[in-house]
Amino acid sequence: MTFDLAPLAPYIGDLAAGARLTALACALALAGGLALGIVAALMRTAALPPVRRAAEVYVDVFRNVPFIVQLFFLFYGLPEIGVRLSAFGTGVLALSLAGGAFTSDVIRSGILAIEPGVLEAAQVSGLSRLAIYHRIVLPIALRSSVRPLGSVFVNLVLTSSILSAITLNELTGSAKIVASDTFQPFEVYAVLLIIYAVMTWLVSLSSAALHRRLNRGQG
Amino acid sequence: MQYTSFTPHDLVLLLQGLGISVALFAATTAIGLAIGLAWAMLRYYRTPLLSPLAALLAELLKNSPVLVQLFLVFFGLPVLLETELTPVQAALITLSGNTAAFIYVIAVSAIESVGRDQLEAARVFGLSRWQILRRIVAPQAAAFALGPLTGLLVNQLQVTSLISVIGVVDLTKAGAILNLRTLKPFIVWTVIGLLYYLMARLIAKACARVETRLRAHSEWKGL
Amino acid sequence: MIHIEGVAKRFGGNTVLDGVDLRIAPGEVVSILGASGSGKSTLIRCINGLEKLDGGTISVDGHRVDDPKQLQLARRCCGTVFQLFNLYPHMTALQNITLAPIEVLRVPRRQAEDEARELLASVGLLERADAYPAQLSGGQRQRVGICRALAMKPRYLLLDEVTSALDPEMTAEVLSILAKLAANGTTMLFVTHEIEFARQISNRIVFLERGRLLADLPAAQFFAEDGGLAQPRIAQFLSKMSKS
Repeated sequence: MTFDLAPLAPYIGDLAAGARLTALACALALAGGLALGIVAALMRTAALPPVRRAAEVYVDVFRNVPFIVQLFFLFYGLPEIGVRLSAFGTGVLALSLAGGAFTSDVIRSGILAIEPGVLEAAQVSGLSRLAIYHRIVLPIALRSSVRPLGSVFVNLVLTSSILSAITLNELTGSAKIVASDTFQPFEVYAVLLIIYAVMTWLVSLSSAALHRRLNRGQG
Repeated sequence: MQYTSFTPHDLVLLLQGLGISVALFAATTAIGLAIGLAWAMLRYYRTPLLSPLAALLAELLKNSPVLVQLFLVFFGLPVLLETELTPVQAALITLSGNTAAFIYVIAVSAIESVGRDQLEAARVFGLSRWQILRRIVAPQAAAFALGPLTGLLVNQLQVTSLISVIGVVDLTKAGAILNLRTLKPFIVWTVIGLLYYLMARLIAKACARVETRLRAHSEWKGL
Repeated sequence: MIHIEGVAKRFGGNTVLDGVDLRIAPGEVVSILGASGSGKSTLIRCINGLEKLDGGTISVDGHRVDDPKQLQLARRCCGTVFQLFNLYPHMTALQNITLAPIEVLRVPRRQAEDEARELLASVGLLERADAYPAQLSGGQRQRVGICRALAMKPRYLLLDEVTSALDPEMTAEVLSILAKLAANGTTMLFVTHEIEFARQISNRIVFLERGRLLADLPAAQFFAEDGGLAQPRIAQFLSKMSKS
C-alpha cells in the first residue's frame, strides 16, 4: 500500500484550471439561482393561488428529481428544440434551476419570518407594493437568509462535480484526466476530496462573515 | 446505426434499473443507519480517541461531492489495496459511508435536543447511561430526528443516480441506454424523472406516517 | 374631516364593531376608551385600511377607505403610531423616518434628512439618529415611531395604545410629547388606557363597549356625574381603571 503524491506535481496547473472553471460556474449559478429563488419565493408568498401553485410545482420538481437527470434532460433535450448551448452553458443553467428551487425555500422562510406589524407600518405610510418589496421585504428577508444561503451555495459547489458527466472539464473532470494519466487514482481523488472540503469550508466562513457584517447593530 | 423506437423490452430494462436503484437505496440506508448510529454512540459515551475522529470523518464526507467519493472508492481503492471491486460493491461502500455521516450528525443533534433536566433526573434515580439512552433519550430523539431524516432519505435517493456514472445499471443508466438508442431525450428523461419523483413522494409520505405515530404521545396538536 | 358611518366588522362569528358612527374634525383631540375587546383598536385599523369593513363607510377628507383606488390617498392624510412600534429593524432611526417621505412624497433626500433630524431633536433623540431599533429602549423606539408618523405631515394622527407596551417612566416620556403635539393643534385620535391623560388633553371622549358607541361627549362632560358617569357601564369601567 503506497501513497505517493509526487507524480501529481506537474498536473497542478490542470487542476487549478479546473478549479477556476468550477468557481466560475458556481458563481454564475449562484447569481442565477438567487434571482430565480427570489422570484419563486415572492410567488410562493403571493396572494393569488395560481401564482403560488406555479412556483410550488417548480420547487417540488427540482427538489425531487436527481440533478444528473435534470442535467441530461437539458444537455440532450435542448439541442432537439434548437437551443444550442455549450456544456458550460448547460451546466450553469441546470445548476441555476436547481439552485433556485433550494434558494426559494430559504428566502420564503425569511419573508414569512418578518413581523407582520412592520409590514403594516409600511402599508399605512402609503408605500406602494413595489416599494414595500424593494425596501422592506427583500432587505429584511435576505439579511436573515445569509447563513442558510451559504449552505445552499456549499451544496451548489458539491453538485457542480456532476457537470463532469457532460464532458465539462471543471475540477472533477480535470481530476479524472489526471487520474488516468498518472495511474494513481487514489491519490488524485483523495486530494480532490480535500480540495472540495476546503472550498466548502471557505464558503461557510465567508457566509458567516457576511452575516455578521450585514447584521451589525441589529442584535 | 439504426435508431429504433421503444420496444416492450425497454419496459423490462426500466424496471430492472428501478429495482437496482431501490435495492441499493434500501441497503445503503440500512447500513448507513447502523454505522451512523454507532458513530453517534461513540459521541454519547464520549469515547476518547474515536469520537473526535468520527466527527472529523463525518465532516469530510459531508463536505465533499458524492461523485468524487464514488471515484475514490471505485477507481482508487482497488489500486491502493490491489484488489478488484465491482461497481455495485463500490456503490454500496460509498453510499453507506455517505449516508452514515449524515445520520451521525442528525442523531447527535437529536440526542442533544432531549433536555438536560430529564437526564439529570434519571441519573439521580440511579438509571445507567444505557437505560437512560434506551428509555428516555431514544424515543424523544427519534421523534425529533424524523423531520431531518425525511429530507436526508429523499436526498440520498437522488444521490443513488450517481452510481450510473461508475457503470451500475440503475434507473439512470437505463435512461442513458434508452436515450442513446432511441434519441428521444424528452420522453426518456421525463419518464426517468417522473419515476424518481414518485419514489421521493412515497418516501416522504411513509416518513410522515411514522412521524405522526411517534408524536402521538405529545400534547401539541398544532396551531 | 374623518367620517365614520355605520361601520361594522366581524372576525369569524364574532361581531367586533356594530354600527359605529363618529366624526373627527381637524384640530380635535379625541380619545377612544373601552374595555379590551371592545373594538377600539379595530376601529383605528379600519380607518387606515389595515382591516376591511364588513359594513358602513369611512372617508378621510373625502377619500373613501373602502375603495382601493382612494385608499392610498386616504392613507396619506393619516399617520399611524403602533403599540408595538413596528420600526423597520434593518434601518436606522433616521432612515425609518425618511423612507416614506422620500419614496411616497418624493422629497429630496437632503431635505428629508434635515426635517427628520428636526423631528428627532424635538423628541430629544437627535444623537441617536444613526442607531438601529435594536439599540434603542422601548420609549426611544416609540418616540422614533412618532417622528416617523409626523414626517409625512399627516392631517390626522392615529395612535393605537402607544404606551401600553412601555413601563411607567417611558410612558411619561411619550405622553409628554403627545401632550405637546395636542397643544400645537395636531388632530389626534387616541386609543388608550391612560384615563388621566385622556382627561387632560382630549377635547372629546368616546366610549366603546362591545362594538357599540356608548358615549361621545366633550371631555369634561364625560367624567361628570350627570354626563358619562350616569351610564352604569361607564361608571363601572372608570372605577375599575382607577383602582388598578
